[in-house]
Amino acid sequence: MIEHLFALPRTLWESLLERLIFLPPFPEQLDSLALFSLLLVVGLLIGEWLHARAGWPKVIGYVLAGTLFGPALLGWISFEALAQARPMADAALGLLMMEVGRRLDLSWLLRNRELLRSTLSDITLSFLLIFLFALAVVGLSPAWAAATAAVTMASAPAVVLLTIEEAKAQGQVTERIILHTAIGSAASFVAFAIVLGVVHAEHSEDWLNAIAHPLWVAFGALLLAAIGSRLALLIGHLLPKRSLAQVFVLIASALLCVGIARMLAVPVFLTLFLMGILLATQDRQQTLRYTELPEGHWLLAIILFVIVGASLPWQDFTWLIGLQAIGLLVVRAAAKTAALAWSGGSLPLRKRLLVGVGIQPLSATAVFMAYEIASLYPEIGRSALALPLFSAAIMELAGPALCRQALRRSGECEGGGEAQGGIA
Amino acid sequence: MSTASLGEFTHSEPLTLGVELELQLVSRRDFDLTRGATDLIGSLDYDGRFGEIKLEITESMIEISTQPQASVDGIAADLAGLRDTLREHGQRNNIGICGGGTHPFHRWPDRRICPGERFDVLYQRYGYLAKQFTVFGQHIHIGCTSADEAIWLTQALGVYVPAFIALSASSPFVDGVDSFFQSARLNAVSAFPLSGQCPALADWDAFVEHFNFLQACGIAQGIKDLYWDVRPKPEFGTVEIRVCDTPLGIEQATALAALAQSLSRWLLRTRPPLHTKKQLYVARYNKFQACRYGMAAMISDPVAGCQLPLKDILGELFEQLTPDAEALDCAHWLNTLRPLLDASTGDAAWLRQQHAAHGNLHDVVRQASERLMQAPPRKSWETPR
Repeated sequence: MIEHLFALPRTLWESLLERLIFLPPFPEQLDSLALFSLLLVVGLLIGEWLHARAGWPKVIGYVLAGTLFGPALLGWISFEALAQARPMADAALGLLMMEVGRRLDLSWLLRNRELLRSTLSDITLSFLLIFLFALAVVGLSPAWAAATAAVTMASAPAVVLLTIEEAKAQGQVTERIILHTAIGSAASFVAFAIVLGVVHAEHSEDWLNAIAHPLWVAFGALLLAAIGSRLALLIGHLLPKRSLAQVFVLIASALLCVGIARMLAVPVFLTLFLMGILLATQDRQQTLRYTELPEGHWLLAIILFVIVGASLPWQDFTWLIGLQAIGLLVVRAAAKTAALAWSGGSLPLRKRLLVGVGIQPLSATAVFMAYEIASLYPEIGRSALALPLFSAAIMELAGPALCRQALRRSGECEGGGEAQGGIA
Repeated sequence: MSTASLGEFTHSEPLTLGVELELQLVSRRDFDLTRGATDLIGSLDYDGRFGEIKLEITESMIEISTQPQASVDGIAADLAGLRDTLREHGQRNNIGICGGGTHPFHRWPDRRICPGERFDVLYQRYGYLAKQFTVFGQHIHIGCTSADEAIWLTQALGVYVPAFIALSASSPFVDGVDSFFQSARLNAVSAFPLSGQCPALADWDAFVEHFNFLQACGIAQGIKDLYWDVRPKPEFGTVEIRVCDTPLGIEQATALAALAQSLSRWLLRTRPPLHTKKQLYVARYNKFQACRYGMAAMISDPVAGCQLPLKDILGELFEQLTPDAEALDCAHWLNTLRPLLDASTGDAAWLRQQHAAHGNLHDVVRQASERLMQAPPRKSWETPR
């Protein structure tokens, strides 16, 4: 359809080329910047419209825009365009993952044992129940069932962070949703690294890859994160705290890590998550502790979710896989809410259950992890990982709404639970 | 004469003390104010032995109040117990707790009014002022044996309002900037229509008559509507000094209670003549001087018709109060206030020094939070008596 639209301009252009020697050949693909701005505007419009009309989290709109214009439906965003936009998506995901890492407060776990209990229960139950479901109900092999569990066990850091930011939520439910998401992500990344080895072991006769690949991923990410965080702290230390220059240093160091991680085939999400953790734990002089990412990171987030939406393989959808995905999500939801309900503690049961609802999102990290594993053995991986991909696809839409609902019901959103005074 | 809205004045043992401190709840991540009062109180596992921990008007505040105590050491023990309880529960909920009269950089529109009928009524009545009232003060109650004594003491203590302001001043920063004030907190209180001073009143009956007049005019429904600097509190049988900023440490809060107790004893013992009507002419000016300049304030004396440095007034006052402080066994607490006569040693100066050292207000709040939560090494006079 797109070729059809461009047929006439192309003919005209080519006729002009013979006389106007300064003209370049007819552009075969959209310039990256132009693509970036188009994705931005389309995602923004749909997100804002849904937010204003239906009160939905904007993230849903961004994903819907990607899905609608992506290869699975209208095809306006081609596979090539997706590949072209991937660095931007990596940068966006990387910055958000770094932010989640920075917010991971491990010392809180030590000060509050009930949180240790609830996060460990969440991690263990989620992985086990999803693994058993994928193995026994869906019939995947142990390696792919483990891969499915590793990919889908954790909440979606990017969605959670953006939904909380959008709702301007503050309070115990909010803080615990962030903590569970960050700890869950850390556990999921560990499982992901191990699963890489397991998948190699199942599909390759050469054991070297089964050992070397997880080590490459884990140590590569850790080394890059250490270099990136050290660099940011060293330069940041020379600058005034919370200055714009510090913001630039933070972003530049993060993007450097994103770039090198891409060059070395080390997962960006893992590298930047680790960088965030190191920035938080190694920053003894509070050099970058209060330096926040500018509002502009929302722009990158829009691109990320439009691309994630466009990456969802709706063309491979079958009712069976849809039902299986819903089954996985039900099992996952049960695991998370049961973990929170069982763990007890000083937070009332209702609020703990709201934390359980708030950590339901499943999104960009899961999609990128699934593609990362699937790319190892594309002929098998793509179909084997259809289950987590479709689970993520469903949750792309339901997850932000659930998270938003949990925050709203906890009364922690800005203006929520307050008397109608007209001054919110 | 009707006292229905005020209630009867409860009898108290003379010079018993009670201290209330409004404290800041801050995020341990960036040290901005956070909304956490309801959750923190909801999760409390505490039997109330040291006093109460309760909600204040916004979710970023919490109020602690000691049990009524005969001695300043009793107040010190209660405040330490309440501080330790809050430390433990704050850590469990990842909430930092901090002293100081204002939060240096919070945005008042981000504040949330606490659930509760009284808070709702205040929000409806005062609108945005209720959110801007996220400032943090210390209130000191002094027990009175009779209602007439309370009315006399209310007016007598009014003269010393600048002293309490200057000694407790710990709110130099507002909205992220240095206000140049030592105590900027009271500017938020001044916006309320019933803030100010107690008028010249002969006795309790005159006070009831004055209150009935305010009630008839629809201005005040209860004693809590009077935001006076010093006011009688019939329900507790006390006079309440309400002008202090919450200090950065509980030791200083205790020392201010010692000053209030010694001063009240001296006033009731010597009964100096009151010139309330004249004092009212200069009260706002003197209050401004103390808020703006702290120990460097020049205080107007409407009786002598001159100005005196607050530092000199306080120096003399401490000498004058020494016998009373010794009689009350709180001289060791009162003495800890003497170094504050040097303008560079108060809480406001400490906050400015932290700002100069760190270059940002986040670290200032972090340091202030650590300071409140640190239990200082026990001194010999702190051993149980």
